[in-house]
Amino acid sequence: MQKKIRPYLYLLPSYFVILSVILLPLLFALFISFIDLSKNIRKLDHPNLWHFVGLDNYWTVLTSDYFWSALGKTIYFTVVSVGLEFIIGLAIALILNEKFKGRGLVRGIMLIPWAFPTIVNAVLWKWLYDANYGTVTGLLAKLGFTDGYVNLLGHSFSAMNAVIAADVWKNTPFIALILLAALQSIPGHVYEAAKVDGADAFRRLFAITLPMLRPAIMVALVVRTMEAFKVFDIIYIMTSGGPAGGTQTLSFYTYQSSMMLGNFSSGAAIAFVMSIFIAVFALIYIKILYKDVE
Amino acid sequence: MKKIGGLLLSVALAASMFAGCSSSNDGSVGKTSDKPSNSNDANKQVTIKVLSSDDFAGFREKAIKEFEQENPNIHVNLEHVAYDQLHDKELASFNASDNAAYDVVDVDEIWTTEYAKAGFIIPVTDRYTDEMKKGILPASLNIVTYNGGYYGIPMFNDALFFYYNEDMLKKAGYDHPPKTWTEFTEMSNKLQQEKITQGPASAWGWSANEGLVCYYTQFLGSFGGKYLDNNGAPVLNNEKGIQALQYMSDAIKQGIVDKASISMNDRQILDAFKNGKTAFVSGWSFYWGEINADDSKVKGQAKVGLVPVADGAEPNTVTGSMFLGITPQSKQPDAAWKFIEFLASKKIQKEQSLDAGALPIWKDLYDDQELNKNHGAFKEMGAQLEHAMSRPQIDNYNEFSKDLQIRIQQVLTGQADAKSALNESADVLKKLEQNK
Repeated sequence: MQKKIRPYLYLLPSYFVILSVILLPLLFALFISFIDLSKNIRKLDHPNLWHFVGLDNYWTVLTSDYFWSALGKTIYFTVVSVGLEFIIGLAIALILNEKFKGRGLVRGIMLIPWAFPTIVNAVLWKWLYDANYGTVTGLLAKLGFTDGYVNLLGHSFSAMNAVIAADVWKNTPFIALILLAALQSIPGHVYEAAKVDGADAFRRLFAITLPMLRPAIMVALVVRTMEAFKVFDIIYIMTSGGPAGGTQTLSFYTYQSSMMLGNFSSGAAIAFVMSIFIAVFALIYIKILYKDVE
Repeated sequence: MKKIGGLLLSVALAASMFAGCSSSNDGSVGKTSDKPSNSNDANKQVTIKVLSSDDFAGFREKAIKEFEQENPNIHVNLEHVAYDQLHDKELASFNASDNAAYDVVDVDEIWTTEYAKAGFIIPVTDRYTDEMKKGILPASLNIVTYNGGYYGIPMFNDALFFYYNEDMLKKAGYDHPPKTWTEFTEMSNKLQQEKITQGPASAWGWSANEGLVCYYTQFLGSFGGKYLDNNGAPVLNNEKGIQALQYMSDAIKQGIVDKASISMNDRQILDAFKNGKTAFVSGWSFYWGEINADDSKVKGQAKVGLVPVADGAEPNTVTGSMFLGITPQSKQPDAAWKFIEFLASKKIQKEQSLDAGALPIWKDLYDDQELNKNHGAFKEMGAQLEHAMSRPQIDNYNEFSKDLQIRIQQVLTGQADAKSALNESADVLKKLEQNK
């Protein structure tokens, strides 16, 4: 009996911590998404002013054009950035798995972008994109891709892709790192056997490497998809959601609704709708992951 | 026995964690709640926390030192953030308690209705002296007024002024600033063609911030338009409003103004002007102090002119004054008021003008000889202030502004035409007005 209770007792402190710093704020946010706090967060201190509006906040959110436009932009950001990060990350991992001189050094250098805080990365890229002095802007102009210096952050579509490029630069090493670790655990004799059987390099990649990497790929994709869906800081620094709302993702919209317009209720409602999308993603991924393990 | 030991241990652990949290809380609550009784006692130290925009932060730090010398028992803890973050940070702090709350906050004139209505700042009408009621400019008093009560003291009398680099214009053969927007276009083209400026002759803060709305208002005013007609109906989408926005959009498309304008804020365009990259800049009064600071490459070259106009319009600009208010969270409102009153005093207001370029709130300071002599743009700024209009005063102002910013940018980036963008914005304004 005591053996059964004791583990739980030891875990009690951490339960308290989780309850107080995660679960309670979460329930509190859920609660304010059902009352009307528009214009005045002070109402929270006066229970008689709590005005329950049921699903009104959610309805307002779901019928707003800004929400659907933000959702579309978030999905675009997520798909493009995670897709590119995965392809480039996989290529880097495959290269770094080969034996060559100075491999250790290259593996170390590869991680540098990932070690940057997002804010530093965002400010860095903002300067690279500067319309008059930016390195990237200048390079594009000199190579003839653009007609002279252009303001990459000055148009909705190019601004979104510019932000994606900055995000890919930072997060690709993370995927490369996970895949590289998994690659190193594939025993070499499998490849030797395949070579003996006459499988060429492409065949070996698709028949051996990728299937054996699947669990690692899943982990990397799950983590990155969740993060990309919640993207906020890089956008806040680089474009503040602009120009013309072209980079306004769901997280930024949530922030704008709560912190700029002071409507914490609709902010909470957007955040919960967003969590539903993330939960669906997570469910799909977990389904695929567990199938793999079985 | 072992069992009980383990149990006790874990309970103790858990308990200590909670005790840890709550005791530190109790401590700070205790400390602050002691203060009201202490504040009557002149010998006890009090600390007031002030959150301010960084526009005049340099001057305010100096003024605080003077204040603390005069009032050794009051310590002022000044925090300042970029203007673009100010509203968000204040909004978050209004529901905070203890150390996260501020005694004094810096409020922009467009937030007066929102803050006063929600009770984020307390009325200070009773604390106003007759001298203040009569001596402060009515326009300044107007920005702190809500429902007949005063909610703070204005700190300066501000608007978007039109600065130009006189030396550069002379090089291009002009002996006066542009009087009309057509002339502005001509001069900009010539300055750029003759390579007097490295690129376009001006850059504007047209990123998706409040600054964009201010600049649009300036164009709206100088094209002869306004937001609301005398009956309160939105008219920003009339012919004049459309012309104003069309001019902005053409200017960026034709390269008359820097194409980076759409991702710049009012700090970045000041830097471009200070470094001699542009010949014109439209900005607040604190620019004057910055332009003539020692680190400026164009020190002594700049002047203030009236905002250019479209044919037949008045050189109208937008007002953007700020004031300091006291929050209801403050445990020492008396000390906070003392501090605000000090900053608003004639002595400090005069110093602020000489030091940082701001225009004072007191009527009689405008006749002050020393100010007229030593502030290089005093007369010109005064002349501009006679042509100033404010942004619409509605309590959902921020919602209107955010929407307008997106719509203006859609026009500036060529995704929408000026007419339909402004029509939609007028609809939003009408809807928000009705929600009052």
